[in-house]
Amino acid sequence: MRIRNNNAVVAKVSLLVVLLLVGLTVLGCYGTKTSPEGGSGGTVADGTLFLAPSVKAAGGGFSCTPAAVDGKLVALSAADGTRFWEVPLEGSRSSGGFGCSSTATPAAIYGSPAVAGDLVYVGGYNGKIYAINIASGAVRWVYPREGNLEPIIGGMVVAMDRVYFGCSDGKVYALDAGTGDKQWEVPLGDKIWATPAVSGETLYIGCFDKKLYALSAADGTERWEFVAEGAIVSTPLVYNDTVYIGSFDRNFYALDAASGHLKWQLPAEKWFWTKAVAYNGTIYAGCFDGKVYALGAENGQELAAIDLGSAVYSWPVLFDGRVIVATEEGEIYAIDAASNQGTLLSDIGEVVYAPLSAEGGVIYVYSQEQNLYALNADSGANLWNLTIK
Amino acid sequence: MGIGDIWNLIAMQPMINTLIVLTNALFNNFGVAIIVLTIAVNGVMFPLTIKQVRASKAMQDLQPKIAELQKKYAKDKEKLAKEQMRLFKESGVSPAGCLLPLVIQMPIWIALFQSIMRVLAVIPENLVGLSGFLYSWPIVYSTLPLENHFLWLNLATGDIFLALLVGGTMWVQQKMVMTPSADPKQQSQSSMMLWMMPIMFAWLTMTFPSGLAIFWVTSNIFRIGMQYFIGGWGGLVKSGAKKPAGRDKKYKERIAQVEEFPSLGADIVVPSSTREEGSSDEESGGKRPDSGGGYTKSLRAARRQPRRGRSNRRKRG
Repeated sequence: MRIRNNNAVVAKVSLLVVLLLVGLTVLGCYGTKTSPEGGSGGTVADGTLFLAPSVKAAGGGFSCTPAAVDGKLVALSAADGTRFWEVPLEGSRSSGGFGCSSTATPAAIYGSPAVAGDLVYVGGYNGKIYAINIASGAVRWVYPREGNLEPIIGGMVVAMDRVYFGCSDGKVYALDAGTGDKQWEVPLGDKIWATPAVSGETLYIGCFDKKLYALSAADGTERWEFVAEGAIVSTPLVYNDTVYIGSFDRNFYALDAASGHLKWQLPAEKWFWTKAVAYNGTIYAGCFDGKVYALGAENGQELAAIDLGSAVYSWPVLFDGRVIVATEEGEIYAIDAASNQGTLLSDIGEVVYAPLSAEGGVIYVYSQEQNLYALNADSGANLWNLTIK
Repeated sequence: MGIGDIWNLIAMQPMINTLIVLTNALFNNFGVAIIVLTIAVNGVMFPLTIKQVRASKAMQDLQPKIAELQKKYAKDKEKLAKEQMRLFKESGVSPAGCLLPLVIQMPIWIALFQSIMRVLAVIPENLVGLSGFLYSWPIVYSTLPLENHFLWLNLATGDIFLALLVGGTMWVQQKMVMTPSADPKQQSQSSMMLWMMPIMFAWLTMTFPSGLAIFWVTSNIFRIGMQYFIGGWGGLVKSGAKKPAGRDKKYKERIAQVEEFPSLGADIVVPSSTREEGSSDEESGGKRPDSGGGYTKSLRAARRQPRRGRSNRRKRG
């Protein structure tokens, strides 16, 4: 009788504790991702689309579900989505997991793959850079060869036979594009999530320390720095000797590319995260306030503020005199550069963070639901779509 | 506007923006901001918390009598319910008094908990999500993203030392409020909770961001302080018991009067063990469930009657 009583007590208390823990976890983690998922945009070269799909747990990412850690790079036919090859990218696993904090470092890729010569390059949240043969899918080199860097969020740029990228450890790295050997590294003031831009022999990169840096692409020497009032995670656009960059301080800046002096700035309502594009003397900058600002490249005159209804995070692309933009909610707009009027091309109804890409009259959109859409750039018609996990 | 939007508008947004502004004011130190906000929220909710603690303690004090009633009216549920209500009424204890303050506090705790999770935003997906919660204050925009290092901690990942601290402070706090029970079943349940909860929370802390662990440790330490203020070290160090506060003493008197005049209150025979437990409760500091008001009618009547025993009881001033 005594034993039965004790058992009942144990069962009651255990149930209470489990309910409490589950309740806390669900309520506390509600609305927050437990693990980085990534999901790059596609990069098209010679009829092949390279894409690193997002890394998602099989159970839908609930806190009790072990985080997925392994990513991949996929090569597809840009024409019909036929898969040529895929390369697994291994993340590192943690010992356990329950709660909102995952100690695993998934090989989630945020930046679009960079293609140069016979190699395609990607950098992952797991702190590794991979150089992969375009034709065979064989890994040529990995950096670092031993261990991992801090998470790499931004993409990379290939120029002057070097691969440039910024890292969460606050450093900018330059690697030999052919061998992966480190050429130089430069520490900046804080984490770097931005993709760099290279123009001439200068590399421009934004940092969490609210600065935009101009470095020598040859040896990393600092040429100038510009101090904004908020972190910079967007990628600079270099156009007509001017660097255009948006910041978390809700301003969009135009800086002299040689000196870093401010030419003009435009205040908006929310963050700038995406890269701007330039066409025919006009800069198009997407913002989290749901607008795309069309600005005179020379003087910053606001030609139009095209309201698309939800935040613009994904990089836009230029196609045939139009700026193609995806909103966070999955609406794809074409902004006519002549009239600065936006037209809805397609509504895929899924969250879009990944950069867009375009080739041969086709727009490629990869959604956070792991679907790749190939849309006709003129009509927005869905040519084909695939689920890529 | 859905319920989620309303929740975000009235709870999440104020909490998240306050946390960011505090971080800015405290030299961009997110760890200190969590501590300060946790203390501030605890401070604001102090009257409610103290009410709830006192009501729970009073409820505990009544447990022997409730057990007695349950035994007596085991076969007559209706009568049992009636007598229980009568007991609650006459002793001035309201079962809702234990729950209501807790229910009011819960949304605030959940909002604080979720805010810390969101503001940590260590991966791009979460930082993007955070942008939807921000007020248009320039200070908010210039502060983000927050630095997530505090002392030796990465606030976004678990930490074993903090996990032990969460478990330890939780154990101390529970031990302080624990009162010995005459019922072995209840005693065994309490003992198990005393160990199980801190162990489970310590384990959970290991896998939650340590920013949350700082919130838990700060809350626990605040509650330990509050508990000490109310009833001394309680079950932790018997000899170090603090003298009960005047209000609590009055409440004890009220309970004792119900015990003393069973014919006027509930139909209970107060066992000697209850008296002993009452004495030990006195040591740990009895609690008063409500904020004031006079005696109930029957108790006023009882006060007019000649006393039987316990003549040293203090008069109500």
